Amino acid sequence: MRRAPHAPPSTPAGPGRRAFVTGALATAGLAAAGCAPPDTLISGRTRLRQWNLFAGGDGNRMIEMHDAYRAEHPEIDFRATTFTWGAPFYTKVAMGAAGGRGADVATVHVSRLESLAPGRLLDPIDPALLAEFGIDDTVVLPNIWEKCFFGGQLYAVPIDTHVLIQYLNLDVCRQAGVLDADDRLIEVSGTDDYFDLLREIRGVTGEYGISIDTWNPWSNFWALYRQQDGDLVLGEDDFEMDDDKALAAMDVMYRLSEEGLAPRHSRDADTAANLANGHAGLMIHGNWEIPTLEAAGIEFSAAQFPAVFGNHRTRGDSHCYVFPHQRDRDPGRTRAAAEYAAWMLHNSLTWAGGGHIPAYQPVVESAEYDALHPQSEYREAAENVQFEPEGWFSGSAGRLQEEATGALTTLHQGTQTPEQALDQLKGTIRELLTVPSPV
Amino acid sequence: MTQKIHAPAPRTAPGSATAGPRGLVDVRRRPHTWTGLWFVLPFLAFYALFLLWPAIIGFGYTFTDRSLAGGDVSFIGLDNWSESLTDSAMYDSLWNTLWFTILSVPLMVLLALGLAVLTDHARRLGWFLRLSFFAPFILPVTVMTLIWGWMYNPSLGLFNGTLGRLGIEGPEWLFAEDTAMYSVVIATAWWQVGFNYLLYLAAMQSIPKDVYEAAAIDGAGAWQRIGRITLPMLTRTTALIAMLQLIGSLRVFEQIYLMTSGGPNFATRTVIQYIYDSGFVGLRIGLASSMAYVFMILIIAASIAQFRLFSRKEG
Amino acid sequence: MATSTPPAPRAVQGPAKPLRRTPPRRRRTSVGAVALYTVATLAALVWLVPLLWAFATSVKPEGETTVMPPSWLSANATFEAYALVLGRGDILRWTMNSLITTLIVTALTLVFCVLAAYGFSRFDFRGRPALFALVIGGILIPPQTLIVPQFVLMTQLGLVDTYWGIALPQVVAPVFVFILKRFFDAIPRDYEDAARLDGAGPLRVLWNVILPLSRPILTAVGIFTFIGAWNNFLWPFIVTNDPEMMTLPVGLGTAVGQYGIQYAQLMASAVLGAVPLLIVFLLFQKHIVTGVAGAGIKG
Repeated sequence: MRRAPHAPPSTPAGPGRRAFVTGALATAGLAAAGCAPPDTLISGRTRLRQWNLFAGGDGNRMIEMHDAYRAEHPEIDFRATTFTWGAPFYTKVAMGAAGGRGADVATVHVSRLESLAPGRLLDPIDPALLAEFGIDDTVVLPNIWEKCFFGGQLYAVPIDTHVLIQYLNLDVCRQAGVLDADDRLIEVSGTDDYFDLLREIRGVTGEYGISIDTWNPWSNFWALYRQQDGDLVLGEDDFEMDDDKALAAMDVMYRLSEEGLAPRHSRDADTAANLANGHAGLMIHGNWEIPTLEAAGIEFSAAQFPAVFGNHRTRGDSHCYVFPHQRDRDPGRTRAAAEYAAWMLHNSLTWAGGGHIPAYQPVVESAEYDALHPQSEYREAAENVQFEPEGWFSGSAGRLQEEATGALTTLHQGTQTPEQALDQLKGTIRELLTVPSPV
Repeated sequence: MTQKIHAPAPRTAPGSATAGPRGLVDVRRRPHTWTGLWFVLPFLAFYALFLLWPAIIGFGYTFTDRSLAGGDVSFIGLDNWSESLTDSAMYDSLWNTLWFTILSVPLMVLLALGLAVLTDHARRLGWFLRLSFFAPFILPVTVMTLIWGWMYNPSLGLFNGTLGRLGIEGPEWLFAEDTAMYSVVIATAWWQVGFNYLLYLAAMQSIPKDVYEAAAIDGAGAWQRIGRITLPMLTRTTALIAMLQLIGSLRVFEQIYLMTSGGPNFATRTVIQYIYDSGFVGLRIGLASSMAYVFMILIIAASIAQFRLFSRKEG
Repeated sequence: MATSTPPAPRAVQGPAKPLRRTPPRRRRTSVGAVALYTVATLAALVWLVPLLWAFATSVKPEGETTVMPPSWLSANATFEAYALVLGRGDILRWTMNSLITTLIVTALTLVFCVLAAYGFSRFDFRGRPALFALVIGGILIPPQTLIVPQFVLMTQLGLVDTYWGIALPQVVAPVFVFILKRFFDAIPRDYEDAARLDGAGPLRVLWNVILPLSRPILTAVGIFTFIGAWNNFLWPFIVTNDPEMMTLPVGLGTAVGQYGIQYAQLMASAVLGAVPLLIVFLLFQKHIVTGVAGAGIKG
C-alpha cells in the first residue's frame, strides 16, 4: 500500500502530493524522535523515569532532592513527573504497567500495594540488590517493612510515614488568645471545648475558625472515627461498622461547616491558602503542607491532630517506591532504580523537612532531625497513626476513599444530614464488597 | 447521487473522447476486476483491525471477568450485563449524560443562531465577530477547562471576584451539586458553539439578497425579515445542527472529566466516564465492556431514530 | 440527504430583482444600526473574556494572581510565568508529539480514505456493496465506546505509549470515505477518458484527473483531520501514560501536578497550549470557514 504514492506524478503539485510530503516529514520526524529520546542514544546515559503524586508542598522538597540526586549522578538521565494526586495517578501507573512501558520507579502509598496487583502490574524488587545500597530490614521500622511484602516477595521500599496534623496560624491564634507562653495551642479535649475554641478564633478572622479540605474528607472521618475506637471490619460479603461512632464523627464534620466554623467548599490548594491569608486560624491537613506554609511566609506552628474525642489519634499512611511492570525490563535501569530509591532514603532528612516522618531510622535518630521545627511538635503522631483495614479497595485514593468522598462532602455542603450520609457510605461499602476483586 | 453508475452508457467508439455529455465511458465495463479491492484494502485493513476487531473482542469480554491487571480470565456468563443493567450508578450516569444533552442542545442551537444573525447584520464587523465567536472552537479541550476552571474558582476566580465587587456572593459553580452541570454546559457552549454558528452563517449568507430586498419593499422591518425569511429558510440547517449537536452531546466526556472529574458526589459523571472508571480506574475490563455495549446500543438507536426523523422532514 | 446545493430556495428568487433601486429606509436602520453594532461588539468582547483573562493572569507576578477583587491589569506585568513553563520543557515536547502524531494521522487518513473512496466510486469488485455498507455502518459506532478493547489491543500489540499507538486508531475515519466517494461520484467520467486512452493506469487517473479536481474537498478533509487529531483528547489520554509521549492536550490535563496553585503558570501553559492552532486558524481562516460551511451543505 505504500507503493501507491510513489507513482511518478506528471502534473506538478496536486493537492495529494502535499499530503505525501507531510507523510514524509512525519516519517522523518519519527526517525528523529524515535522511541527513546535522542539524548539518551547519543550520550549513553542510563535512562531513569520516576512518576509521583507529590503536588502538595512536599513536591518542592522532592524537586530539591532530585536536583541533588542529578548533581551526584551525571551518568543517569533522570526525569520525574508529578501527576494529579489520587485516582488519576494510580490509573496511569496501572495502565502504564499494563502497557509495559511505564515508569522505572513510582511512588505509591503502601496501603495501595494490594490494589496494584503485585506480580503482574508491579515487578518484585530483589532484596539483595537493595541491600547492596544499604537498605534492609535493619534500617526501616519493622511494622512498615512488613507491609512492603506480598506473597513472600518484596515489592516496595518505604520512605516515610505521613499523618494528618493541626496547623496554627500563630498571628491569628495569638490575637484570639488561644496560645500558651510557648506558642502552643491551649490543650482542649472533647467536641464542645473544641468548637468553643474555633468560635473564639472565628471571632478574630471574621471568616472561619478552621480550614479543612472538604474535598478529601475521608481521612478526617477516619481519624475522628478511630478516636472513638470505631472499628471497620471487612468480611467476605459483609462488614461491621459502629453506627453511633460514625454518626458522631459525621456530626462534627457537618456542624463545622453548618456553623460556618469551616468552609463548605475547600479544595486541596485552597485549604492552605485559607490558613495562610488568615481566613482561618487553624487547619487540619497532612504534614506535607509545611513547605507550602513556609513558602507563604507566615508565622505558623503545628500540633497533633486535635483531640476532638479525647485523644490524638490520626490517619496515616506511608509512601514507598515500587517498580511498575515493564515488558523488557533492563537490568541496568533496574539497578539504577534501586540505587535511586536507596539514595532517597539516605537523604530523607530533606524529605523530613517537607513534613513527613522518615522511614529510614538513622535519619529519624539524628540530631538534625531533632532540630527540625515544627516537625518536633508532632513526633508522637507516629505512634497515633491509624491505618485503614486492608483490602483491594481501601487505602489512599482507593475506591473506598474515592467513593466515600461523595457521601462525606455532602456533610460540609450541608446537602445531607449525618444520617443520610451514613446510609450512603454504608451503601457504598456494601456495594464495594459485592464487587469481585479485580486483582 | 449514483445516477451515472446505473445509466447504461452506450459504448463509445475509440477516439471519440469528445463525444459530448452522452459519451460516458463506463469504467466498469471490465466486470469484477480486483483492481478496486486493492484501493479499498488499506483502509479496510485498518478499519478491521482498529474498529471492527475491538468491537468484536469487546463483546467477548462482556462475558468474562478479565482484569486490566492480568491474571486468569474465566467465563462468567451474563454477570457483567446484569451488573451494568441493575447498577444505579449506571443509570445516574446515563441521566447525567442525558441531562447534559437536554441542557446543551437547545442552548447551543439558539445561541449559534443568535450570534449568526448578529454577524449577518453587522457586516462591517464580520471578520472580528467570526474570529471571536469561532476561535474558542479550535482550542484544545484542556486549554478550555484550565481557563474556565480558573474563572469558576469560587474563592479566587474572576466570576465570584467580580460578583463580590458588586456585593453579590457568587455560587460555588463547579463545586456544588446543583450548579456543576450548568457551569459545565455554559463553558461547553462558549467552547463549541462556533461550529454551529458557522453553519448558520454560511446558510444565511447563501440566502439571496433580493429576497430581503423584495420584503423590504413590501414594508417588512428588520425583525419581520428575520422572522419571515431568515428563520423559515434555515429550517433545514437547524435540523442538521440539532442532529449533529445531539449526537455530539450524548458522547460528552472530556470537558466534564477535566473540570469536575464527575463530581461533586458524581453529579456530573457521564456514561463514558463511568466506563473509564470501571475499566481503567477499577481495572474491570469485562464490566466496562458490557457498559460500553449498553451505551453503544443506545447511541446507535438514537442516531438511527434521529436520522429517520430527519430524512422524513427532508422528504 | 440532498447533494451539494446550497439550501437556498430558488423559487423565491425571481420577482425581487427589478425593484432594486428603492433605497431601503436609511433613517430608521441607522438608529437600529447603532444598537446592532453595539450589541454585536459587546457580544464579541464578552466572548473574548476567557481568553483575555487567561492572558491577563499569565502576565501577572504569581503573588498578584489571587488578589481579590481581581484586576485586569498588573502594574508589574511580567513574562516570568512563560519563562518558567517553557523552561520545564514539557510543553515543547508535548507540542512536538502532537505535531508528529497529527501529521501521521492526517497523511494516512488522506491517503487511505482517498484510495478507498476512489475504489468504491470507480470500480466494481466482488463484495463491493457489502463492504461499502460495512464502512458506512462504522459511522454509527461511537469510538468512545471502544476505548477499553482498543486499549487491550494496544497492550497486545505493544503500542501503548508509542506514536503509532496514538495515531493508528485515529486513521479510521469512515465518514471521510463516504464524503470523498460522494464527491468523486459527482465528477463526470469524461474527464478520465482522455487520460485512460493515453494509456494511464487507475493510479495515474486518480493522481492526474481526480485529485486535481477534488482540491477543495481534500483541503477540507485535511484541515478537519488535522484539527480533530490535534485536539483529540480521549484516545491519546487512554493510550499514553508516559508524560514524554503525551500530546499537548493530554499533557496539559494530566501531568501538570507540579504547577500546583501557581495560577500565572497555569494560565501561561493554557495560552501556550492554545497558540499552535490559533496560528493555524489565522493562516487558514478562509479554508476553515468554507470547510465548515461545506460540511454543513453536504450534510
